[in-house]
Amino acid sequence: MNRRDWLITSAAVTGSALTVGLRRQKYSRDLRPKRSRIAILDADHYSDHLNEVIYEGLRLFNLDIRGKSVLLKPNIVEYIPEKPVNTDAQLIGAAAEAFLRLDAASVVVGEGPGHHRDTDLLLHETGLADQISQRKIRFTDLNRDELIKTKLRANYSGLGHLWLPRTILESDFVVSMPKVKTHHWTGVTLSMKNMFGIVPGARYGWPKNILHWAGIHECILDICATVRPHFVIADGIVGMEGDGPLNGRGVNLNTIVLCDDPVAADIVCARVLGMIPERIAHIREASTFIGNARNHEFL
Amino acid sequence: MGLIEDIHAGIKTRSLPTGGWAGGNGSQASVETTCYALLALHDRDSSARDNAIEFLSRVRNQDGSWPAFDGDDREGCWTTTLALITLRFINVRFTNFEKSLAWLLKNKGREGHWLWKWKFKTVDRAVQLNPDKFGWPWFPGSVSWIIPTAFSLIALRQSAACCHTAEVTDRIRIGMDMLRDRACPQGGWNAGNGIVFGAALRPHIDATAIALLAVSDSSGDPTAIRGLGWLRDASKDCSSVFSLSWTALAMLMHRDATLNSCIAKLNEAFSGQSSISNIEALSLAVIAMNAVQHDRNPFQAVI
Repeated sequence: MNRRDWLITSAAVTGSALTVGLRRQKYSRDLRPKRSRIAILDADHYSDHLNEVIYEGLRLFNLDIRGKSVLLKPNIVEYIPEKPVNTDAQLIGAAAEAFLRLDAASVVVGEGPGHHRDTDLLLHETGLADQISQRKIRFTDLNRDELIKTKLRANYSGLGHLWLPRTILESDFVVSMPKVKTHHWTGVTLSMKNMFGIVPGARYGWPKNILHWAGIHECILDICATVRPHFVIADGIVGMEGDGPLNGRGVNLNTIVLCDDPVAADIVCARVLGMIPERIAHIREASTFIGNARNHEFL
Repeated sequence: MGLIEDIHAGIKTRSLPTGGWAGGNGSQASVETTCYALLALHDRDSSARDNAIEFLSRVRNQDGSWPAFDGDDREGCWTTTLALITLRFINVRFTNFEKSLAWLLKNKGREGHWLWKWKFKTVDRAVQLNPDKFGWPWFPGSVSWIIPTAFSLIALRQSAACCHTAEVTDRIRIGMDMLRDRACPQGGWNAGNGIVFGAALRPHIDATAIALLAVSDSSGDPTAIRGLGWLRDASKDCSSVFSLSWTALAMLMHRDATLNSCIAKLNEAFSGQSSISNIEALSLAVIAMNAVQHDRNPFQAVI
């Protein structure tokens, strides 16, 4: 073999190895259900009427909640007056009440705010503290919960494992409750991106900047493959468009999306925002193993 | 002070059998929470205090850094600064202090590396920051943030008596520049940059107060003056024990006239919320009240 042949062979071997590496399946299990059920509810304001709207909406799904521990994971990032950056507190309260009416053993609201270390202050400012107190539900600060080293069930980020809160890992039924928003880096921030909030600040900082460096789309896929939300209640009554997650303008979408599949939910919500879901990398990839891009049943 | 005694008792009761305190309700001791609780109990003889010191000694990494919590991976993080501040304040002698300092000096925000400097100067202009002015990350492998940078500056400046080297002086200067560079336009500090995507971010009370502790000797510094002004206004409507405690510590350091009203609000917050269970908030309240009473602030940067 002369030098030229050796170089060509080396290049071919390296190229093949890279191609195989890139194409190798990066997830261990196909989590997609046979079909995904979706309900799009009309709602044009936040008030006590949401109690009935959410309860009746959940009843459409015949969920088996009896005796289960339910964890509601809203999107509480930062309080910015006049900007709808967070899942509305009234909607979170209504969801908690609805799951209790469906005989859940317990309902916990859990969130690990991304920027703000004073979670009590944030709960107070967003009105969530009042809802928690009035409805006698429990809140767990996922930023400061007990942590369990958890192997990720997909390998897009290369992180291998994350320390995740015991409260979320031991919950029977995890409900992602995103605010329907656009996002500067990921196009949208919906039920799957919302799961960034389960990653604890006490281990990854405020914000969880290591996830950004490992790739936001990639981390979303790894986290959702590991803790796949069982259900989604998306707050699209007032959504946000612009340079999210913090900068943008409120937009009246008058919609709440309920769904038993986070990928299907995000596809519907992205369309509500006027986005093309197939162009959003994590939604496109998630539809190959986390949830369905097709087989949607509208209730 | 009956209130402080009550809080002390509450903190001691929640001490873990393995030493230290958990951040939440679990049984996993957190280094940050333990440091605050130790600072709150610093003048009390108790097994909780002794066990906590033993815990901090046990979990310290070989390279002199501290992890985030008991059982964490052994890579070290920002809590190293808190452990240094705490152990110095409570007068605990520990070996290889220089190792911890060396770890701190080695650790820097990712934008301090030439490649990322170039990225932030050319390609990534979404966040307006000057990458020549860098500080410390929460965890190795990410960029600089306000709170870990402020705590690092405090720890380094407190160590000046024993370890004043050119490298320490240099990092302090660059870190202080970073705090000034990333202040919010209206005064005060958010988690990181003051402006993102062309929009000014809203400052946070705790981040502003902690940054003000780090810039405490810059009384004529316009950034510090603006930060203090913002903090005075923001703390008026605040009822959070966590944020008010940090505010009181900053106001004490800057000899600000609003200190008394801040302490009054802190007392008020306790009377209004009988069920405060957060050990960090409880400990910080004691630290602030003790600091005011005895004029001895653990976060005083210049000793």
